[in-house]
Amino acid sequence: MVRLITHNLLACHVKGCTSNNFPLKLQDVQIALREAEFNEDFLRGFIPRLEWGALVQAAREVGDDSLPAEVPEMLDDEFLKQLHHVLLEIHIDEGSMVCPNCKHVYPISSGIPNMLLAEHEIG
Amino acid sequence: MSKVTPAVIDDDPSAYETKHVHEVYDQIASHFSSTRYKPWPIIAAFLASLPPGWVGLDSGTGNGKYLPLPLERPGSVWTIGLDRSRNLLDAARNAGGAVREVVWGDVLGNGWRIGAFDYAISIATIHHLATPARRREAVERLLQSVSPSHGRVLIYVWAIEQDALSKRQIPTTPDASSPGAIVGEDVYVPWVLNPQPGPQKTSRRRKAATESEPEPSHEVQIEPQTFHRYYHMFAEGELDGLVNEAAKQLRLVIGPHTSAQRHTLGVEIVQSGWERSNHYVEVKRWQA
Ligand SMILES: [Zn+2]
Repeated sequence: MVRLITHNLLACHVKGCTSNNFPLKLQDVQIALREAEFNEDFLRGFIPRLEWGALVQAAREVGDDSLPAEVPEMLDDEFLKQLHHVLLEIHIDEGSMVCPNCKHVYPISSGIPNMLLAEHEIG
Repeated sequence: MSKVTPAVIDDDPSAYETKHVHEVYDQIASHFSSTRYKPWPIIAAFLASLPPGWVGLDSGTGNGKYLPLPLERPGSVWTIGLDRSRNLLDAARNAGGAVREVVWGDVLGNGWRIGAFDYAISIATIHHLATPARRREAVERLLQSVSPSHGRVLIYVWAIEQDALSKRQIPTTPDASSPGAIVGEDVYVPWVLNPQPGPQKTSRRRKAATESEPEPSHEVQIEPQTFHRYYHMFAEGELDGLVNEAAKQLRLVIGPHTSAQRHTLGVEIVQSGWERSNHYVEVKRWQA
């Protein structure tokens, strides 16, 4: 499965592509919403590890603009529920992720992103 | 039939692994995923010790059996599974009855933000790489995937020294070229697919075969099929040596952080040893 939690960790790894290689741009996506168990401890611990700007951008690319541009100072229930939804309940079943630098396309098929490279593309 | 036999790597290592590792796993995936599993104590303890909010990489996740851990507090950490076998990922994506995060990729790839993870595990995977340089690179990728300031990595590989309970017997050959060096053994380990009684759990391969050929009768007798997977069985001390080599490549200081060190990146071996026919090593990165 690829959800935005995973998208926030992925970067392009084509040989020589080492800057501006994140976040991968989501294109032609087919989305499914599936409920996931809410875990407040996880979310509070995970927020400092997120690349927030990348998450906001990716959420917009899949049609969700509910997140604020900056992480709010007060992490209230409403915000945590919204973040939970964006990170863990939006599934990208089909589509592709495109490197902003070298334009390499990583396809997503049946919910699984393909990060394999051809031998000559490996750094 | 089901004996461990010596292996000779007679091809480009990447092509060799495709044939003797990846293609085999893709063929046995449907059976492999039904194997019951209880995590070994050190792996379970490692995953149980992670603080809430941590995200990790399971490099070579196979059927995803570690993705649901720790069971006593589900969802408090997230482990992302990576594997080279697309068929195994079909099992991993629903490991433990919930939807998991899995990525199709190579353990020698680096498709992550540098240092994106808090922890990484690699269980029974690096021993499928066919040269010392590729095994070292796989360790480098693990060290690079985790946070430079607090990242933790746990690696398990099969050992030459097998458990008394294990049925595997590893053939050993004297290594004349480098006496005294710590070297493991390249072997093939058989996987026997026995015919299933009752409603048949046929693999995709067999199904394809029966669909394309007219069946001689309705009582088709299926012979057990044996697949040979390539393994590099590790010698004692070899895994620690690999971690040291990988750390050197990445210019990381090896050893615990001392107060005198400044502007330094390092890696410390927290524990290493042998458990149930495996060598393991746990390391922790530090930044001063
Ligand atoms: Zn790129």
